[in-house]
Amino acid sequence: MRSRLGTAVLLLASVAPVAAQSSQFGVRGLGLPMRPFSVRASATGGALGLFDSESSFNPASIGLVSFTTASFQTLQSWRRSESPSGSVTARDNRYPGVFVAAPIGGTQLAIALSASGYTDRNFSIASRDTLVLRDVPVETIDTLRSLGGVTDVRAGIAWRGSTRLQVGLGIHLLTGSNRISSSRRFSDTTYAGATEEATVSYLGMGVSAGVMARLGRVLTLAGMVRADEKLRVERDSLRVGTTKLPLTLAGGARVQFGDQLQLAGSATYRTWSSADNDIVAQGGVGSVNTIEFNVGLEYLRDPRRPNNLPLRLGFYRARLPFPVIRGQNINETGITIGTSKRFVADRAGFDLAVGQVWRKGGPGFSERATLVTVGISVRP
Amino acid sequence: MRRLSVLMVAAWTGTLLACQERLTTPVDCPELCPGNSLIVRDTVIEPVFDLDSTFTGYLRATEIPALLVSNGLPAGDARSWATFPRRIDSVVVDGLQQALTLDSAEMTFRVVGLDKSVTGTQLVVHRISPAVDTNTTLEQLDVQLTPESVMGRIAITDTGVAKLTFKGDALGKIAVFAADSFRLGIGLRLEAPSPTGVRLESLNSGSRPPTMTLFGKIAIADTARQRQTLHAAADSANYVINTPPLPGDDRYALGGKRGRRAILRFRAPAALKDSAIILRATLELTPSGPLLGLKGDPASLEVRGVLADVGAKSPYIPNFGASVVLPVGVTEVQSIELRSTVATWFVTGAPPSSLVIGINPEGGSFAWPEFFSTRAAVGRPRIRITYALPSQPGHP
Repeated sequence: MRSRLGTAVLLLASVAPVAAQSSQFGVRGLGLPMRPFSVRASATGGALGLFDSESSFNPASIGLVSFTTASFQTLQSWRRSESPSGSVTARDNRYPGVFVAAPIGGTQLAIALSASGYTDRNFSIASRDTLVLRDVPVETIDTLRSLGGVTDVRAGIAWRGSTRLQVGLGIHLLTGSNRISSSRRFSDTTYAGATEEATVSYLGMGVSAGVMARLGRVLTLAGMVRADEKLRVERDSLRVGTTKLPLTLAGGARVQFGDQLQLAGSATYRTWSSADNDIVAQGGVGSVNTIEFNVGLEYLRDPRRPNNLPLRLGFYRARLPFPVIRGQNINETGITIGTSKRFVADRAGFDLAVGQVWRKGGPGFSERATLVTVGISVRP
Repeated sequence: MRRLSVLMVAAWTGTLLACQERLTTPVDCPELCPGNSLIVRDTVIEPVFDLDSTFTGYLRATEIPALLVSNGLPAGDARSWATFPRRIDSVVVDGLQQALTLDSAEMTFRVVGLDKSVTGTQLVVHRISPAVDTNTTLEQLDVQLTPESVMGRIAITDTGVAKLTFKGDALGKIAVFAADSFRLGIGLRLEAPSPTGVRLESLNSGSRPPTMTLFGKIAIADTARQRQTLHAAADSANYVINTPPLPGDDRYALGGKRGRRAILRFRAPAALKDSAIILRATLELTPSGPLLGLKGDPASLEVRGVLADVGAKSPYIPNFGASVVLPVGVTEVQSIELRSTVATWFVTGAPPSSLVIGINPEGGSFAWPEFFSTRAAVGRPRIRITYALPSQPGHP
């Protein structure tokens, strides 16, 4: 059993947990914030994120783990971005999450190790300009490409006091980098193109705590709080500054209707405005506090086999923290649907979530994306 | 369990294969531009005052790549000459020496450059003493180029082979004598309605230097072998030219028969070292008057960087350099793009920031450009450098 678990972990670890979902709204600040949800929670619009044992959001949910479980997910997105300079369709593929959890035998504890995207800063943007060089106008084409983002590596432990109460703690390591390449080409080919490269790396720590309590047969409440220290930012190994990270507060409720249907809703508040001064000082536009609302449901066709093609639906609306124009908030609205299936005596399975996302961020800036997330999970 | 493993590996492989990206998005700056683009600047550097030099003597007298002939061309009045080896007047057939009875003869030259806008150009071939050599001056040669010594004229209308044929009584013009050790010398001058010139292949330049071909018969019974041909390429050929006088210190001339080059020494701006990206570097040379040469047959101006600045024999940086065609008669500033060479001046372990300028084909062209030097009051050489400074992209 131990070797099988090792094989699974090795296999999953070979997939780099880089951030996902490139977007034109991930260009500024630290990038596009990621949601540390499992595919199941994503399919409910994030509404089950506080309650789902395979999500890396609420450490208390680790207490629900009763088997050694490993999972990873891949996300394919197709998007159409509109900006004042035009529109474009783009697609990309990322691996936004790896999760391994197991109960500690003989105790009421469970542990989990996960890596998920914290922010995603994968983008490639192009712009045109005209410079007057040697008294002659010369058209230039600038391309800026960034690969990477900040990854949230969490080690969590949860105590299951009973089937009604779980509490958990998580320690977070925030790490990652942006490999940035800026190039300029000229329409007049007597001018050589130029490329500049830099690596911006990040390092920070954080802690999180959560609780999940079942009140009666129907209602379950959950809440979590997370605090991160300042993110240290280096460019090519030289310290360029720190970025204060937000306090995260989240709470939610889940209502069980019989054996087959559960509804959930949650809200998450992040004090991203605390990073505003640091981001502006480093040359950015700034940051604003964010709040996110999620509602969703899960309908089980067969309560004895909950992963046999259940129906999951969700909706969420969120404000994104890093505007492209100061004073112009970016709002994201998404609808989701998903299901799952287990094989091999429930030892392996997949989860699927399909989402449609709309983002708006000021005059002329909008985006529509279709996201398909596939998760593979195994119970060796 | 095997099914489980297969499933895991298949899922993992499929996921990897599914990875695809097409990310580029057009954007408006500054909203979606995190950080500045590369900062583009322009600067001009001049060679260090009074440290530019000219050198000559890069070719030996016998290494000339072409024979020049002209009539009053401002770039230089030129005559050429050639000598043919001791005449062979017999052939060996079946082990027996057979005397050749001449029927006809041809003298051929390959024209490699001319000004086609001048019509009526004729190459005049004179018989001269075969004692001519590389010490012969233009005046000494001209003395022999008399109307009495004319062997014939060849109309020059295009590049290619120009041929002078001797038959009958004209064969006497190519007769050789014991006093000349049975050798033949010819001198070449040009006649044309206006000053012009032609360039001919020399002994060093190609497959057809001046050549004499003899056609004749031998007295044997086998009619198939009675007709015989003898070829003899010139064993020496050269030209003499009176180029314009060398200019003063405020100008420098390039070209000439022995090769004349200039070396310009710059100081690379310290502000550009290590950090700047050279986008364009243009050497600008200002002619001190109309560029001299042969219209329709321009030479190239060649500029090379050096590995070490040791003066006249500075070794070139391999594969780094530039050339530009030198128009004739213009006075406009001549610009040569030198980005790859100048870019080497701003890296660690950079070679000297010196440039050597010359003419191609060196020693085989009428080109005689004169440019202002660092000592001139105006029009000094300079390099315009357009460069980019790093902008540290990727601001939040």
